[in-house]
Amino acid sequence: MSLTKVSMVDVVKKQYLYKLKAYSQVFMSLIFIQLLAVLFSMNGVGGLGSSEGSFQIEIKYFSAVMVVAFTMLWGFITAIIITTKAYRNDDFVFVTNRASSNLSNIVFLLTASIIGGITSMLSTYLIKVIVYYLISDVSLKSTSVMSAPNEFFLGSFSTFLYIFLFCALGYLIGTLVQINKVFAVLIPAAFFGGLIFDGLRGNEGVIAKGFNFFFMEPSLTLFLIKVIVTAGLLISFAFALSNRMEVRS
Amino acid sequence: MTVIECRGLTKVYGGAKALNNLSCNIEENKITGLIGRNGAGKTTLLKIIAGFLKETSGELTVFSENPFNNLLVSANVIFIHDQMNLPTSLNLKEILETAASFYENWDHDLANRLLEYFSLNPLQHHNGLSKGMKSTFNVIFGLAARVPLTLFDEPTSGMDAAVRKDFYRALLKDYLAHPRTIIISSHHLNEIEDLLEDILLMKDGKELLHLPIADLKEWGIGLQGKTAIVDEWTQNKELIYTKSVGFDQSYVVVRNDFSESEWQKARIAGLELTPVTSSDLCVYLTSKTKGGIDDVFNKG
Repeated sequence: MSLTKVSMVDVVKKQYLYKLKAYSQVFMSLIFIQLLAVLFSMNGVGGLGSSEGSFQIEIKYFSAVMVVAFTMLWGFITAIIITTKAYRNDDFVFVTNRASSNLSNIVFLLTASIIGGITSMLSTYLIKVIVYYLISDVSLKSTSVMSAPNEFFLGSFSTFLYIFLFCALGYLIGTLVQINKVFAVLIPAAFFGGLIFDGLRGNEGVIAKGFNFFFMEPSLTLFLIKVIVTAGLLISFAFALSNRMEVRS
Repeated sequence: MTVIECRGLTKVYGGAKALNNLSCNIEENKITGLIGRNGAGKTTLLKIIAGFLKETSGELTVFSENPFNNLLVSANVIFIHDQMNLPTSLNLKEILETAASFYENWDHDLANRLLEYFSLNPLQHHNGLSKGMKSTFNVIFGLAARVPLTLFDEPTSGMDAAVRKDFYRALLKDYLAHPRTIIISSHHLNEIEDLLEDILLMKDGKELLHLPIADLKEWGIGLQGKTAIVDEWTQNKELIYTKSVGFDQSYVVVRNDFSESEWQKARIAGLELTPVTSSDLCVYLTSKTKGGIDDVFNKG
């Protein structure tokens, strides 16, 4: 029997198509988590109130920021899940090597982030509709669906970048945990320990600075570069670590 | 052409050597039986061939390439074992469709017909199947993939006798129609020996014997008779197996290098010479002690 020749690109493409189908559960959880976030948003995501004498003023803001935050968390968890043994070893039933498996995972995460980004932005409209019908005395910023298409696309794009950044982080953490279970304890401990330590010292620590580095960036171009470089580094590190990993059941 | 070449292959698992300096060659288009006791290193060897594990030292090539992280090897090798991780979110039909997209020579028609014959519901999920049905599905997967090198690790575990028989027949038929290299590891040598051309016997991570199955059938011989006479005849021979049968009678298995005239003399001396089945011979050859489980109970 003659040998079959395969190309890397071809295998990654097939794996990607297979993963879209096999990992469809991921998108079910996206819908669920976004609906949950919309529900939580109903209480307003920010506001202020003041009273004087018998007057009382209360202002609440409604926006999709909660949905975006939940979706980032979803991206993070999804990335961790697809690095687990059950998912990783599935690839080895079919044609694969470690590089193609990783590459198709990243393409899948990119797709998931894009979908997550667009749906988060779209949830704004759902929130608007619900608020309009259920809460009295509202002022809607705009009632048309595409009053500011630029704003919509820019919002979707930067949300996508945020989600993907979290996917890349989750992918690296998931890979580390696969290599040694000790990381499953070490990483959360370092994260929360860092938060508490920062809080005790009362000044900005590494975690807060890292947060500001990405979330306080006013320039889209700079932000784009930051995300590409950081995600690239995280993913390359995960690739390098997993390239010698054995398949054990 | 040699499909698998392996030189001084060693694999260490947490201090224990699963494979210990193993060397062997597997030729193209042959069905080889991989036989050995539990823990002899059969699965480890197959996993290294499939590119799942990386060898600790030594060298192994499949189609003249190192199988670890190799797309060419992955596309041309399929490894069927009882702990196969099939995607849990897809049903059997979808798994077969996915496999069809990956394996170039995939025979979808055959897969569907086998699925129907073994009455597996295509809409069922793999983790909902019973142990024997899982194994049945796995071998359908392995046969339909029709890749140049097919590895079956205990493919029949959990199958009932009828399905096992059907599987052996299906394997042979498909092999005759599309000759390819097949390695089967199994505990049931008596069931598969008619299927095999070669046999690779492993013990403690090493190759013990690698020869055509026809030669194995004549490799050993059993002598039975009065203990004194048996001892006299087997003085300078390596005893493969000894057993006392009744009073002053013993049964000994030795390597069959008797000449025709020696056979005659042995018969006249009152020895009974019997052929040893390959299955028994493999058990004797791979056992740790010469007397088998009897030794454990004969201490007192």
